[in-house]
Amino acid sequence: MTRATPTARWVLLFGVAFGAAALVLPFVGPFGLNLENVRTRQEPDWSIFVQLRVSRTLLGLFAGGALSLAGTLFQAMLRDALATPYTLGISAGASLGAVVAIWLGWQQIAGVPAIWVAALGGAAVVLALVVGAALHHRRVSSFSLLLSGLAASSVCSAFILVIYGLVSTTKSFSISRWLIGSVDSVDYAALGGFVLVVVVTAAVVMRQAKAWNLMAVDPSWASTRGARVTQLTLSGYGAGSLLTAATVALTGPIGFVGLVVPHLVRTRIGADHRVLMPCAFLGGGVLLAACDAIGRSVVAPSEIPAGAVMAILGGPYLVWVLRQRSMS
Amino acid sequence: MSVRLRIDDVAWQVNGRPVLSGVTLDVADGEVAVLMGRNGAGKSTLLDIVAGLRQPTGGAVHIDDRAIGDWDPRARARYVAHLPQAVRPDLPFLAGELVLMGRYPHTDRWFESDEDRRAVEQAMRRTDCWGLRDRLLETLSGGERQRVLLAACFAQSPQLLLLDEPSTHLDIDQQLHCFALLREESARGVACLAVTHDLNLALTYATRIIVLADLRVALDVPVEEAARTTDWLALFSPRLRLSTTPAGRPWVSYS
Repeated sequence: MTRATPTARWVLLFGVAFGAAALVLPFVGPFGLNLENVRTRQEPDWSIFVQLRVSRTLLGLFAGGALSLAGTLFQAMLRDALATPYTLGISAGASLGAVVAIWLGWQQIAGVPAIWVAALGGAAVVLALVVGAALHHRRVSSFSLLLSGLAASSVCSAFILVIYGLVSTTKSFSISRWLIGSVDSVDYAALGGFVLVVVVTAAVVMRQAKAWNLMAVDPSWASTRGARVTQLTLSGYGAGSLLTAATVALTGPIGFVGLVVPHLVRTRIGADHRVLMPCAFLGGGVLLAACDAIGRSVVAPSEIPAGAVMAILGGPYLVWVLRQRSMS
Repeated sequence: MSVRLRIDDVAWQVNGRPVLSGVTLDVADGEVAVLMGRNGAGKSTLLDIVAGLRQPTGGAVHIDDRAIGDWDPRARARYVAHLPQAVRPDLPFLAGELVLMGRYPHTDRWFESDEDRRAVEQAMRRTDCWGLRDRLLETLSGGERQRVLLAACFAQSPQLLLLDEPSTHLDIDQQLHCFALLREESARGVACLAVTHDLNLALTYATRIIVLADLRVALDVPVEEAARTTDWLALFSPRLRLSTTPAGRPWVSYS
């Protein structure tokens, strides 16, 4: 049984890795930074370090954390090992919003880049539609959430294809560039807002960790042990959607991290969500930031998107881990 | 005796097809009431309604004299435990973690207290599965998993135990042990309502036999009375005979 001590040790271990990644990864890039120049704040090293590398690393850490926490949450809520932050259509909604913004040439809305606003708007519309479709007699079942989410996802993807066919070559390039998904440097105001949203939402989700344990067994199991299942499902879907939408707005849809990290962490430390959730968050962040650091270094001056690095390295690794586990 | 559960004129239908209609019965502390009936008679449905998992389409359910909808979910979970017919066999939890979940309504702490751990150990020892506590559920056999689920219900320390076929997958010795535990619980003042198909287990361990047939309660008698009459056996199959063992106990055999 899980006891407080090994638990604290796992969270501490992942926390140290997260902190170490935040300190070390900004120094990794297509060309080396001169440490002395950074320390004495000399240009251009100082600007590259602060404006590009640090913000990019932080974005990778928190985006990876948000996605892998959302994946863990949806896997528990839907009791589906293949659930990802994108299963319920949120990412497709956000993508459609962003694509519409590129299509119509919107630049800024209320001083904020239009793509972000449109992505969040698209995600919100999908969220409302999916919950509306799944809500029945003030109860909501995860199965109907799953089905209406899949339907919303397909419809959004279809509209993206339609728009893709309508736009000019320049815009279709921007669209495909956005749809690949990547971690790029962002300004600190946006980063600050993003980190705040992610941290607050993650705290809300993790506070319910014991209830997610019950939900991962079965909604009836949760209900007969005193959890409010409909409330939990709706708040979980809302929180998971917010984590996903905020991330997708800034990075585009980065695949795989939300699927693979929860499984890797779970096979290692078990399924108690009180430990699993913080560790998946911290681990997912480290993994995405590290994949981004690899992606921007190995083929410099070109870049491999972080999601691609993650899939190329993570796919075989996941298969290997699962094989090891089934053999033992 | 005080009535723990009162089911009043309860009806349930699905897509216009009635499953239960006009079901009325009470269960008091100290009772082991066994709920029987043929497949599809509505036994599990009735248990689900009492557990708050389904809204009855008619009638009312009172637990400890309070309408079921008026209970706070956590308070209700401290009072009522429900053993489901099955859970997914590939759950990623350890057996001990699953039993610990029974303590959820009892504690607001982030990690369970020593008292919670003692309740878990006691429950797992009683159902003979303490040795399995660090095993993943997916590695357990059906009967071992059933004992773990039963322990999770005991760890919940309820006043009303609802058990949907508690002896499924258990070997014969464990079946007897399981029903003996229900008798122990009832002696401590717990009310038990258990679904089973095993007539001999029911006649041996129950204090009361309730049979559902044709949407309603077809029989509701103390076990001593059930042992004296035979006509109710036709509710299950025309091929059943009631006899007496050399030890003088009622015994149902097949012809």
